[in-house]
Amino acid sequence: MKKFLLLCFSFVIATTVWAQREVSGRVSSAEDGTTLPGVNVVLKGTTNGTVSDANGNYKMSIPDGNGTIVFSFIGLKSQEVEIGGRAVIDVKMELDVTQLSEVVVTTAGGLQSRQRELGSSITVLTPNSLTAGKAVNLAAGMQGKVAGFQINATSSGVNPEYRLILRGQRSLTGNNQALIILDNVIVPNAVLSNLNMNDVESVNILQGAGAAALYGSQASNGAVIITTKRGKAGTVEITLQHNVQATQVAFFPKIQKGFGSGGSAYGIDGSTRPVFNYLENQSYGPAFDNSLRPLGPKLEDGTQPYTNYNYKPGHNDFWNVGLTNQTDFSVSAGDATSSIYMSGQYVTVAGTTPGDKFTRANVRVNGWKKITDKVQISFSTSLAPNKYDISSATGSIYTNMLNMPSNVDITQFKDWSNNKFATPNGFYNPWYGNPYFTAANNRQLDKNLYITGNMEVKWTPIPGLDIIARQGISNRTFTEKATTGQYIYSLYARNTDQSSKSNIAASVSETANTYTNLVTDALAQYNKSIGQSVSLNVVAGTQLIQNTGRYMNTNISGLIVKDLYNLSNGTGNPGYSENDFQSRLVGVYGKVTGGFKDYLFVTLTGRNDSDSRLNKDNRSFFYPSAEASLVLTEAIPSLKDGNIFTFFKLRGNVSKTGQVNLGNPNFSSGFSDFGAYYTQSTFSSNTSYATANGFPYGSLAGYSADARIVNPNLKPEFTHQWEIGADMNFWNDNITTSLTWYHSRTDNQTIATSISNSTGFSNFLTNVGETSSQGLEFTGHITPVRTQNFQFTVGGNYTYLKNTVVSISDQLPLVGLASSGNAVSAAVAGQAFPVIMGLDYQRDDQGHVIVDRTTGLPSSTSSNVILGNGTPKHRVGADAAVQYKNFKFSILFEYRGGYSVYNGVGTEMDWSGTGYRTAQYGRQSFIFPNSVYKADDGSYVQNTSVSIANGNGNNGYWSDGINRNTSSNYVTSGNFIKLREISLGYDIPPIFGKAIKGANISVQGRNLFLWMAKDNYYTDPEYSTAGSTGNGTGLNDIGQTPPTRYYGATLSIKL
Amino acid sequence: MIMLAAVALFATSCKDYLDINTNKNKPVTVTADLILPQALVATAITLNAYNTYGAQTGGYMANAGGYGGFNEQTTYIYTPNNYSNLWPTSYDNLEDYQYMLNQTDGDANFIYYNAVARIMKSYGYQLLVDAYGNVPYSQALLAAENLTPEYDDAATIYASLASEIDKAVADINTGLTASVAPKALGSNDVVYQGNMTLWLKFANSLKLRLMIRGNGKVTFTNTAFDPAGFLSIDALINPGFARDNNRQNPEWNQWTWTYSGTAQPKAWIPTTFIATFYNNIKINDPGRAKKMYYTWPATGTNQLGFESTGIPKSPDGSFWYPGTDRGGTSAGNGTGAIKGPDAGFPLMIAAESDFLLAEAALVGIPTGAGGTAQSWFTQGITDAFTYTYSLPGGGLKKTAATDAPKVSGTPVADAAAYITANAGNPLVDWSATSNAAEQLEAIITQKYIALNMVNSQEGYNEYRRTGYPTITGTSPTDTFASIASQSTRPDRLPSRILYPTSEIQYNPVNVPQGITSTNATIFWAK
Repeated sequence: MKKFLLLCFSFVIATTVWAQREVSGRVSSAEDGTTLPGVNVVLKGTTNGTVSDANGNYKMSIPDGNGTIVFSFIGLKSQEVEIGGRAVIDVKMELDVTQLSEVVVTTAGGLQSRQRELGSSITVLTPNSLTAGKAVNLAAGMQGKVAGFQINATSSGVNPEYRLILRGQRSLTGNNQALIILDNVIVPNAVLSNLNMNDVESVNILQGAGAAALYGSQASNGAVIITTKRGKAGTVEITLQHNVQATQVAFFPKIQKGFGSGGSAYGIDGSTRPVFNYLENQSYGPAFDNSLRPLGPKLEDGTQPYTNYNYKPGHNDFWNVGLTNQTDFSVSAGDATSSIYMSGQYVTVAGTTPGDKFTRANVRVNGWKKITDKVQISFSTSLAPNKYDISSATGSIYTNMLNMPSNVDITQFKDWSNNKFATPNGFYNPWYGNPYFTAANNRQLDKNLYITGNMEVKWTPIPGLDIIARQGISNRTFTEKATTGQYIYSLYARNTDQSSKSNIAASVSETANTYTNLVTDALAQYNKSIGQSVSLNVVAGTQLIQNTGRYMNTNISGLIVKDLYNLSNGTGNPGYSENDFQSRLVGVYGKVTGGFKDYLFVTLTGRNDSDSRLNKDNRSFFYPSAEASLVLTEAIPSLKDGNIFTFFKLRGNVSKTGQVNLGNPNFSSGFSDFGAYYTQSTFSSNTSYATANGFPYGSLAGYSADARIVNPNLKPEFTHQWEIGADMNFWNDNITTSLTWYHSRTDNQTIATSISNSTGFSNFLTNVGETSSQGLEFTGHITPVRTQNFQFTVGGNYTYLKNTVVSISDQLPLVGLASSGNAVSAAVAGQAFPVIMGLDYQRDDQGHVIVDRTTGLPSSTSSNVILGNGTPKHRVGADAAVQYKNFKFSILFEYRGGYSVYNGVGTEMDWSGTGYRTAQYGRQSFIFPNSVYKADDGSYVQNTSVSIANGNGNNGYWSDGINRNTSSNYVTSGNFIKLREISLGYDIPPIFGKAIKGANISVQGRNLFLWMAKDNYYTDPEYSTAGSTGNGTGLNDIGQTPPTRYYGATLSIKL
Repeated sequence: MIMLAAVALFATSCKDYLDINTNKNKPVTVTADLILPQALVATAITLNAYNTYGAQTGGYMANAGGYGGFNEQTTYIYTPNNYSNLWPTSYDNLEDYQYMLNQTDGDANFIYYNAVARIMKSYGYQLLVDAYGNVPYSQALLAAENLTPEYDDAATIYASLASEIDKAVADINTGLTASVAPKALGSNDVVYQGNMTLWLKFANSLKLRLMIRGNGKVTFTNTAFDPAGFLSIDALINPGFARDNNRQNPEWNQWTWTYSGTAQPKAWIPTTFIATFYNNIKINDPGRAKKMYYTWPATGTNQLGFESTGIPKSPDGSFWYPGTDRGGTSAGNGTGAIKGPDAGFPLMIAAESDFLLAEAALVGIPTGAGGTAQSWFTQGITDAFTYTYSLPGGGLKKTAATDAPKVSGTPVADAAAYITANAGNPLVDWSATSNAAEQLEAIITQKYIALNMVNSQEGYNEYRRTGYPTITGTSPTDTFASIASQSTRPDRLPSRILYPTSEIQYNPVNVPQGITSTNATIFWAK
C-alpha cells in the first residue's frame, strides 16, 4: 500500500502548473448562496471544458479569449455567459424544477454518477428523513423507508442489534447482510450503532448486486453507502443539539391472571382444586381467592411473609423506564481551497432492564485541501468509544420473572441486599432466583473503540482524467470483563425447604479482541465527450483488502477474596483461548459507460477477485455486469406535452457477482474469523464435542477431532441477478414513482450444515445448493399541495419478496440454520427461505388433531414438519409529511405480512404456568379442541366425549412435553403494523440579530405502537434467535426482553 | 495508468501475498498417540452420561424433594429429547477411535494404538446398541463419504464387534511377539499405562459381555478367548483427575461439587428399591451401605415419580458421596461409587467380569477361565466389595471394628461375612439356590448391586435382558417403576429411549420410524 501512495505523491510533485490565458470564477447557488462543486463548465461549440471544484471554483484556458461559456449541472438550469474579454466570471445558478428527480449519487468507488445514467435501483436517504425519529442507531433511522430493504431489530437492550437485508437472503449459511461503506471504507455492521447520525450527509442504498459490482465480492448483498458531512466554503456553522428520550416496555407477553403457586403434583384438594404451595415457581395452584397465604417458608429468624392470593401486576412493573440523552456539537468552516468539519456527540442510555447502562462518545474530523490546481487531498476520521454496563443474564432474569406466579409482587424484591425476604437466603423460591439479584450479580462491562479513517489523494493531470489513491482503515478494539459475584448461602437456606439453593462461586472472564480492516484503492476515471452526442466514462482500478483479527479470552472461577474480580484471584486451572485470523483479497476492475445524447446510457463492468481464503485453484474469479438506462422524456420530447410526464426513465441490468461466503461474522459477540482457514478440518486440545475435558493434564497432552468436516475444494458462490424498472414523475414532480422487478439466483453455495452425528461429525462445510429471490419494489409519493407556507406529501413504499430455496443436495434434505427450543429455522429445497420446522400434533386428513381414545391426549408427529414461512412476503412503509409555515410534522408506519414466527418464550410461559394458554379451559379437564379419535373400524370420529384428565400443569397437560415440545403451539402469524416514527418540529427564526442563526424544537417518538396478529400475544416478531448475523430467522427466544417504545424531545441551535 | 500498471506488477510479483491461509490456531492433522488420551477421557465423560441414564431408568436413583417437573422421566412416555445427549457424545467419541484406526491401519509401529482404538470402538458401539438397538455402523464414521448412514441390524453389529475384538487381540499378540517392539502406549494409555496383557484381559471380558448378552440371538464366528484370561483388576480411566477446573472425575463433578465448591443440583437421591438390598428388606448389608451412602441408615430415599411434599431432600454433595467432610472444597477421599474428584472412572469393574464368567459357566459358554458358577459368583461379590472399599488415591478403606458388628475389616473378609450373615438367602447364599433360574437371579442381582452408580447402564441392560432383580407390584420396595408410570408394559417400565431429534432432522430417510418408549425392545431384551 505504501508503495502506491508514494508513487502517487511523486506524481504530484512532478506536476507543474502550465501558464495559460485563463478565465476563472466561482459558481454558487442562487437559492442559498452556497458554492456548487461539480458544475460542468464548457466553452460552447468545443470539447474544451472543466468542472468546478469542491469550492465551486473553476478555471479554464480560452484560446482566443472570446466565446460563450455554458454552465450546466443536473437539477439546475443551464446558463450561457458571454466571456466578453473578462478574466473572472462568477455565476449564480437556479434550480430547475423540471429536473428535481435527477440527483447526483455516490456509487461504487466513491465516484459520482448522475442518477439518470444508472441502470439499477438506488435509493437516497437525506439527513432530514434519517434523523426525524432521533434514533440513536442509523439502522433504526432507515427502518421502513426503503423498498426492498428489510431492517430487523433482532434483540432488545440498551443498544439493540439490527439485521440489514437487501432483496432477501441469498446465501444459505453465509453472510447475507448488506455491505456498509462509510466514506469509502468497508466497515462492519456494528459501526452503524456507533455512528453519529448528525454527521451523515447522505445514505445511498444500492439494492441490487449489479449496482455494487465494483465494490467487490462483499457487495453481492447490496451496499449501503454512507457519506459524512464536509465543511462548506465561505460559511462557518456551529450546531448545538440536545435530545432526551424515554424508553418504555411497549408490549408484555399475555399472562393468565387467575391462578397462582402450586400444582397437582402437590395433590388435589377435595375434588378438583390443585394444592397451593408457598414456594412453587409454577403457577398451577388453585384459583385466586384473595385469602392471605404465606409466601415462602419461614426464615431462620422465624418470620414468614404473607400476601393476599390475588393477581398483582408486578410482571409489567419490573422493567424500568429507560432514559436516553444525546448531546451534539458540530462546527464546519471552509474557504476556496480547504474545508473542515468537526463534530462531537455524547450519548447515555439507561435501559429497561434494571441496572443496564450504555454510553457512547463520537468524535469526527473531516476535511479537504486543494494543494495545487490539480491535486486535492481529503480525509475523514472518526473515533467512537462506547461502554456497556449490563447484566449478562438477561435470559435468566426473564425466566426467573416468568417463574414468579402473579400472586407475587415482583417489585417487592428490589432491595435484594437489605430486605431479608429479597436476599438470596430469604427469597421464597429456591429454584428460580430473585431477578433483581440475578441482574445485579451477573454483570458484563464491555468497551469498544471504533476507529474509522480514510485519506484520499486525487490528481487531475488533464481535464476529464482523475487519478485517485485512497487508503481506508477500520479498527475495532473490544474488551469485556464479565463477572459473577460470590454468594454463600446460610446452612439454614441450604438445608430447609429451599434445599436446592447452593452456593454461587465468583468468577471473572476477560476478553480482548481487536480486528482491523485495511482497504487500499487506486483508480483512474476518464470522461470524454465525442462530438455533440456521445459521452464516455471509463474507470479502471485495483483494490487490496486485508482483514486481521485477534481474539483472546481468559476466565477463572472460585475467586478467593470477595468482590475482587481479577484473574489472579482465582483457584484452579483457568480457561483460556487465543484465535488469530487473517485474510486478503486482491481485486482488479473496470467500468465503461457510454452515453448517447444524454438520454441513453450503457454501462459494462468487470471485476476479478483473488481471495486468500480459498485453495489456489479456486482462488481467482471474475464477474461482469451490464446495465442500461433510457430517459424517455428526453428521447421523445413530445412525452412532456400535456404536462403529465415530467420524467420517465426505463432501466435494466444484469449481473453476476462472486462471493467467498465462508463464515457468518458474529460481530455482536465481538468475534469474526472472516472465514479464514475454513478449508481443512481441525483438532482441539482442551475440548471434546464442546465438553471441556481438562487437557492437558500436566505433561499429558491430548487432541480430539473437531465436529466440523470441510470440503477442501470450496469455491466462491455466484449470484446472478437481473432487474428492470422505471422511474416516472408526473405533474411537475408532484407525483414521483419508482418501480423495480428483480430476479436473483445464487448457486454454488457454501454451506455449513448440521449433519447426522453418526457420520462422526456434526457439521459439514461444502458447496451445494441454490436459492432464488424475486420481488417487486415500488416507491411513490404525491404532493397535492405545494405552496410557500404549506406543503403536504404522502406516500410510501411496497416490497414483495419471494425468497426460495431452489435446491440443496441429494444427501442433505435440509439445512438447519437456527433453533429455539424444539423449533428449527431451516432451509428446505422447494420451500420458502427459511421455513420454521418443528413437531406438530398427529392429524387426520382434514387436519383434526388425533387423540387417544382413552386418555384424550394428542400425540406429536415423529419428525419435524414445516410450520410456516419465516420471512415476510409483503412489506409496506407508509409515510406522510406536512409543512405549515415553520412547523413540520412527519409520520411513518410499517407493515409486514405473510409470514410466521415461533415464540420461544411460550414454552417457558407454559412451563411456569403464567402462560395465557394454560388457563383457557380454567385448568379443568378438557376435550382437546377440534379433535378426533380412531374408531374400531379405523375411521376417525369426532371427539366430543374423551377429555384429557389432568387439565392442569405441574404434572398435567400444560407443563408436559406433549404440550411444550409440540412447537406448532407457539407458531403464530408474524404480521404486524408499527408506528415507526412520528415527529413534530418547529423552526425558530434567527434571533439576537442573527447571533443565533436558527433553532429547532421538536418532539418525536419511535415504535410507539405495535399491532400484531391476534394469535401472537408473545413478543415483537422482528426479534430473532439467530441474532443480527444468522440467517435462521423466524424464531425468537427468552433472551430478548419485551419490546420497547421511545419518545422524547430535541432542541437544536445553529450559531 | 502507470499506477495501475505498478499495482498489477505488485499483485503478480507478490503471489505469496495470498498464501496466508495456514491455520494459526489449531492443528489440521495429529498423530494417534495424541488422540488416545483425549479419546479415553471422552469415553469417561460419555460413560458418565450413560450412568445417569442407567441410574434413572434402571432403579438406582429417584427424584428428590425440592424439585419438580420430571415429566417424561417419570411417565416414561419419552420424547426424542430424553437422554438425547447419549447419541452425539457416543459418535463423537467413536470418531476419535475411528481416526486412530484410519491413521494407523497397517502401521506395525502403531499396532498397539490401532488395537486399543479397535477395542474401544467395539466398547462404544455396544453402549449405543444396548441403548438404541439398530444404529448406523457399517456406513457410519465415514465423514463426508456418507452423510446419511444407513442403520445396521443390532444383532449383526454385535457379531461384528466381537470379530473386531478378535482382530485387536490378534494384533496385540503380533505386537508382543514382534522382533521390533511397536511404539508403546506408555502414559498415553490412561487406563493401563501401556500394559498390553491387561488390555488382552479387558478384550476377553468385553467379548464375553457381548456373547452373554447376545447368547442365542447372535451368531458369533469365533467363540474362543485369548489365553490371557479375564479382567481381574478394575479397568479405570484416569488421566490425572483432580479438584481443578474441568479436571474432576465426571461423576463427582456431576453429583457433588464443582471444583470451586458450589454444590451441584440436588434433584436426585437413591431409590427406596435399591436400599432394600442393604437394609435387610431383601438383603442385610449395612457395612457396604455405609461405604456407599451418606448418613446410612438415615439416607433419604424415594420412589421415582413421587413429587409431593415430604420427600427427603438431598444434602450438598449428594447421598452417594459417603464422606463426612462436606465442605465442598475440602471433601473428597471416599469409598463407594462416587469417591472423589481424583478417582478413576470405571470402564469395567472386575466384579462385572466375574459375574459374566459365573453366568457363562451356568449356561455353558466355554471361556477357558476355569472355576464354577459358584466360585465366580463368590469372586464377584468379593471384587464388588473391593471396588466399594477402594479409595481414589489407591488403597482400601478398611472397616473399623466398632463401625458395624457384622464386618471384620478387609473387603475379602467382609464379603465372606456378608455371605455368612445372609445365609439361606438365595440372592446371596449360592447353597440356598435350588435351580438355575434362582442361580441366574442371584448372579444378576449381585451384579445389579455391584454396578450401583458404577456403570448403572449395565445394571439396567441386564434387568431388561433377564428380568432381574425381580420387581413386582407398585410398592417402592418391590419395584423401581415410577409411581407416575404411564407405561402399558407388564413391568410398568419403558423398554427403550428414542432416537434423538438430530437423527430425525438430519438422517430422516434412515432413522427407524414408529418407535415409542414402550413398543419396541432391544434385540436381547426379555
